[in-house]
Amino acid sequence: MNDALLELREINTFYGPVQVHFDLSLSVGAGQIVCLLGGNASGKSTTMKIILGLLKPRSGEVLLDGEPITGLPTPQIVRRGVGSVPESRRLFPAMTVRENLMMGAYTREDRAAVREDFDRVLELFPRLRERLGQQAGTLSGGEQQMVAMARALMGRPRLICMDEPTMGLSPLYVERVLELIQAINRQGVTVFMVEQNASLALQIAHYGYVLQTGRIALAGPAHELLRNPQIRDAYLGGQVVRGA
Amino acid sequence: MNSFLDHTINGLIIGNIYALVAVGLALIFGVSNLINFAHGSVYMVGAYIGWVCVAALGTPLPLTLATVMAGCAVLGVAIERLGLRPLQGAPRIAPLLATIGISFVLDQLVQLIFSPDPRSLPSQLPSWRLQVGSGSIGALDLFVAAAGIASAALLYAFLRFTRLGAAVRATAQDRDAALQMGVDVNRVNQVVFAIASALGGLSGVLVGMYYNNIFPAMGFQATLKGFVAQLVGGAGNVPGAIAGSLLLGLIESYGIAILGTSYRNLFAFIILMAVLAWRPNGLFSAGRKLPPEPLTGTFVAPSRPLSVPRWALAAAVGAALILPLVWRDSYVVQTLTNAWLYGMLALSLTLVAGTAGQMSLGHAGLLAIGGYASALLALDLGVPVPLAVLLAGLITAALGTLLVFPAFRLRGHYIAIATLAIGEIVNLVILNWEGLTRGPIGVAGIPPLELFGQPLVDAASVYWVALAVMVGLALLQWRLTQFHLGRTLRAIREDDVAARAFGISLNRYKGLAFAVSGFAAGLSGAITAHMYSYINHETFNTQISVLALTMVILGGLGNIVGAILGAVALIGLPELFRGLAEYRMLVYGLVLLLLVRFRPQGVMGTV
Amino acid sequence: MSLLEIVNVTRSFGGLTAVDGVSLTVAPGELVSVIGPNGAGKTTLFNLITGLDAPDAGEIRFEGRSIGGLPPERLAALGLARTFQHGRVFANLSVLDNVLLGAHTRLRAVRPQVPLVGPLVELALALVRPASVRAEEQRLRDEAREILTLFGERLLPRIDQPAYSLSYANRRRVEIARALALRPRLLLLDEPTAGMNPSETAEMLEIIRALKARGLTILLIEHKLELVMELSDRVVVMDDGRVIAEGAPELVRNDPAVIEAYLGHSTIGEAADAAPRELEAV
Repeated sequence: MNDALLELREINTFYGPVQVHFDLSLSVGAGQIVCLLGGNASGKSTTMKIILGLLKPRSGEVLLDGEPITGLPTPQIVRRGVGSVPESRRLFPAMTVRENLMMGAYTREDRAAVREDFDRVLELFPRLRERLGQQAGTLSGGEQQMVAMARALMGRPRLICMDEPTMGLSPLYVERVLELIQAINRQGVTVFMVEQNASLALQIAHYGYVLQTGRIALAGPAHELLRNPQIRDAYLGGQVVRGA
Repeated sequence: MNSFLDHTINGLIIGNIYALVAVGLALIFGVSNLINFAHGSVYMVGAYIGWVCVAALGTPLPLTLATVMAGCAVLGVAIERLGLRPLQGAPRIAPLLATIGISFVLDQLVQLIFSPDPRSLPSQLPSWRLQVGSGSIGALDLFVAAAGIASAALLYAFLRFTRLGAAVRATAQDRDAALQMGVDVNRVNQVVFAIASALGGLSGVLVGMYYNNIFPAMGFQATLKGFVAQLVGGAGNVPGAIAGSLLLGLIESYGIAILGTSYRNLFAFIILMAVLAWRPNGLFSAGRKLPPEPLTGTFVAPSRPLSVPRWALAAAVGAALILPLVWRDSYVVQTLTNAWLYGMLALSLTLVAGTAGQMSLGHAGLLAIGGYASALLALDLGVPVPLAVLLAGLITAALGTLLVFPAFRLRGHYIAIATLAIGEIVNLVILNWEGLTRGPIGVAGIPPLELFGQPLVDAASVYWVALAVMVGLALLQWRLTQFHLGRTLRAIREDDVAARAFGISLNRYKGLAFAVSGFAAGLSGAITAHMYSYINHETFNTQISVLALTMVILGGLGNIVGAILGAVALIGLPELFRGLAEYRMLVYGLVLLLLVRFRPQGVMGTV
Repeated sequence: MSLLEIVNVTRSFGGLTAVDGVSLTVAPGELVSVIGPNGAGKTTLFNLITGLDAPDAGEIRFEGRSIGGLPPERLAALGLARTFQHGRVFANLSVLDNVLLGAHTRLRAVRPQVPLVGPLVELALALVRPASVRAEEQRLRDEAREILTLFGERLLPRIDQPAYSLSYANRRRVEIARALALRPRLLLLDEPTAGMNPSETAEMLEIIRALKARGLTILLIEHKLELVMELSDRVVVMDDGRVIAEGAPELVRNDPAVIEAYLGHSTIGEAADAAPRELEAV
C-alpha cells in the first residue's frame, strides 16, 4: 500500500563550491501526505528544485514510481505526472484565472478529460467560479494560493509538490489551504510538501522528515514527530525558544 | 504635391515598417527580458537576402519575401541557440552585451562580403498610384500596409488562441512557473526569436524596397527606432509597440516636411529621451512601480579582483616611460599612444559603468564634445593648447553630465539605451550645427599639442603627454574611489533603493561619476583632436563606444588597472597581426562575445 | 510628545484603497508593532512612512515636522533608518562597507547639500583627504566594529567578506547593523525574522530586545505573533487598510474584532501535543 511513489537516494547537491545536501534520502509513499521540514538554511527548497528538475544533483538518484527522473528537464518530469505549487504561488499575473488553470493542463492531450477536470476542480474550489475572468495578479494571497493549487490539479498529477503553501497567508486562509490539501489527498493524489511551520504541516501529514543543514535529522510518522521534544525545541512554529 | 495627407500616409507606412521591427523587439523583451541589440542586424540581413533574391536570382515577390522570412527566422534561432542560450545563468548584463557583440559581428560580416556601399533594391511592384483626397497612395504603400496588418493579425491570433501562444505569454510573465507547468521554455524562446526575426527581416526588405536603398549599417538605426517605438508603447507590450511605431512614423514624416531630411533620426532620439525622462513605463501606463527585491538585480559578476603589487605597477609605468627611448619604431610608439588615449576612455567608462553601475554606451559622445571643444577653443578663440585641453575636459564634464541628467532616474538596460541615444544626439547635433562645428566638413588645421609654448610634433613627445595624462587620471580615479566616495558609488550599483534609504542622493553621485568620467573622456578627445589635426562628426562614432565597453569588460568592471590593460590589449594586439586589419572590428565583436560567455568578470576581476 | 505621528493617511491604487484613514503614534522609546492579515496594508503603510510612496491624503509627522512625500534620502538625514522585507544588502560589498554605508548621512563630507557646490566640495575632500576626514573615517570604522559585536561571533569574523557570501540570517543581521550605523531616532523593521527558523528568530528577538533596552524607538511589522507579544509596548492591528484595534499586547490578543479578522479559529499557538485530527470542513 505504501510503495514509494517518489524516492530520493543519496542526493548530494552543490551550489558552486557549497554543498547543500549530504547523502539525502527520503521516500514518499503513494497516497500519502509527506512533509519536509526545516529552517532557512536547511536545504528544503533546494530539495523541491531537485525533484522538479530545476536543479541537478551532483550524485544520487530521484525515482518516480521506480523510474529514474534525475536531471530530466522539468517539462518531461511534469509530463510524468508531477504537479507543482511553487513557493509564493507564481501565477501568471496578466492571465485570467481560467487561463492560469488551463496552463496547468498544458502538457495534456486529452481535451475532453481536461474539460471534465476543469469542472471537478471548480467543485473543489467553488470560490474560484466567480473569479474565472479576473486577472490572477489582482487576487489576494490566499485566493492566489487556491488558484495555484487548482492549477496544479489540472494536470491530473499523481504527485503534487507544494513549496511552503501556507507562507504569508492569514490564519484563515492557512486553515482553508490545509483542508484543501487533505481533500486533494483524499482524491488519491500523493502530496509532498515543504514547510517551515512544522506544527501546521505535521497536523495533516502522514509522515515527516526534518532537514537540518542538508541532512535528515529526524524522520517518522507525523504524530510521533509532533511529540518528539527535539523538534519542538527547534522547529515548532510559534514556539520561540526562550533564553537561547 | 506634397500635401498633409501625403505626409500622413507616408508616416503611417513608415510606422508600419517600424512596427514590424518593434513588435519583434517587444516579443523578445517580453519573453526573455532581453534588449536585443542584434535585431537591427537581422533586419539588415533580411534586406540583403532580399537583394540576393531580386538582383541575383530574380525570384518573384512572394518567393522573395518567403525566403527572407525563412532565412531570418533561421538566423534568429541560431542567435538564440548559440549566442544567448549558453548565457542563461549569467549576470543579467551578459545577454545584453552578447547581442551587441553579435550585431557587431553580423554587420562586419555583411560589410566584408558585400562592401559598405549602398545598393539599390527594386520592388518589382507596378508603379501606379491611387488618388486619395489631396494625396496619393502607390502599390508599394498598399503592399507594406497589407503586410503589416496581416502580420499583426496573425500574431494576435497566435498569441491569443493557440496553446503555444499561451505558452509564450506565460513564459513572458513568469518563466519559472511556466517551466513548472511543463512548458519547454527553450522552445518558446526559439519560437519567439524565429517570429521576431522573420518580422524583422520582412521589415528590412520592405524598407529596402521602399527607399530603393540598402547598406550594411542600416540595422543600427532600425534597432534604435524599434526601441523608441517599443518604449513609447510600454516595454514588452506588443499592441503598444505597434501604436508607438505609428506615432514615430508620423512624427518623423511631419518633422522632415518641416525641417528637412537630415533631422530624421534626431526625432527618434528626442522622443526616446522624452519617454525615458517622463514616462519610462510607456505612454499608456500610469506606472509608479517599485523596483524588485535584489540579490537578483546585481549587474556585476561577483569576483575577487586580482591584486597587483605596487612595485609591479611602478615598474610597468617606468617601462612605459622609457619605451620610446629604447624602441625607436615610431609605429609602435604611435600605437601605444593610441592605447593610452583609449586607456583614458576606458578609465572614464569603468568609473561610470563599473564602479557606479551605470552602463553607458554613448561615451564616444563625450570624446566628441572634448575634441570639438578643444579644437574650437584653440582655433576660434586662440586659447593656448594646454589650456584648451584642460578647459575641454571641464566643458565635457559639465555638458556631459547635463546631457545624461534626464537619464539618471533610469535603471538597468534603459540606461544603456539612453546613453546610446545621447551619444547619437551629440553626433547629430555636431553634424547639423554648422555655424559652430563646420558641419559635415569637419574642423581642419587644429594646432598641435604644445608644452611651455613649444609645439610637440614628434611621436615620442605626444606619447609622453598621453601617458602622463593617463597615469594622472588613473591615480586620480584610484584616489577618489578608495574610501567613502567609491563605497557610495558602489552602493548605488549594488542596490539603489537601499542606497537611497541611507541618504545617498542618486542624482548627486551619478552626477559626480559622470562629471569625473566626462573630464577624463574630454581630455582624451581633446588630445586626440590636436594629435590628428582634423576631426569631423564621424571621428568619434558609436563603434568606439562599444570598443571601450569591450575594453572595460576585458579588464574587469570598475578595475582601474584592468581598464588600462584592456585598452592596451585591444589596441596593441591587432597591430601585432597586421594582416587582420580589415577584420579588426569583427575580432572586437568576437572578443566581446567570448568574454561575456566565458569570463564576464574580465581578466583582472570586478572591483 | 510623539516621535512619529500618522494622521488619517490614505493611499489608493486604482480602485483599491490600500491604506484607509490610518492614524497611529509612536512615542520615544516605544516599540510599536503593526500586525494584520495578508493584504491589510502594512507594507503600503511602511512605504508611505519611509518615503518610497506618497500619501494621497493625511499627514505624517516626525518629531513635529511634516515628512509625508519626502524622499527616502531626506528621511535618512532626519534619523529614520529601516530594514527591508527580504534583506537588501549591498551584495558585492564587504560587511564592513555595508555597515559604513549606514553612516553615510553622518559624514562631514556629504554635509553641503547645496546643489553643484556641495558635490564639488565632496569631490575635493575625497581627493585631498585632510586629517579631519581621515580621522572621521577611522572613527566610523571603530564604531562599525562595535556595532557588529552586538551580534556576537556571527559577523565580526566575516567583516571583510562580501555580503553575497553570507547566509540569509547573517545578511539580515548585516542589514540591522547598517541601520544602527545611521544612529537612528526611529528604527523601522520590516519582518526582520521572515524566513528564519525558530532558533534564529529567538536570537533576533534578543537583539531587538537589547536595542529597545538602549532606548531606541522601534516600529515593527511582523507575522510571528509570539515575537510581537513579547516585545511590543503597543500593538496596532490592521485589516483591509484600516486600524481595527490598538493597545497593549494582551488587550489586542483578546479583542474579538482582532480574533475574528486575523486569527480566525485556527489552531496556531495551541499546545503542540494535541493529537492530529482531520480539520473540520469550514
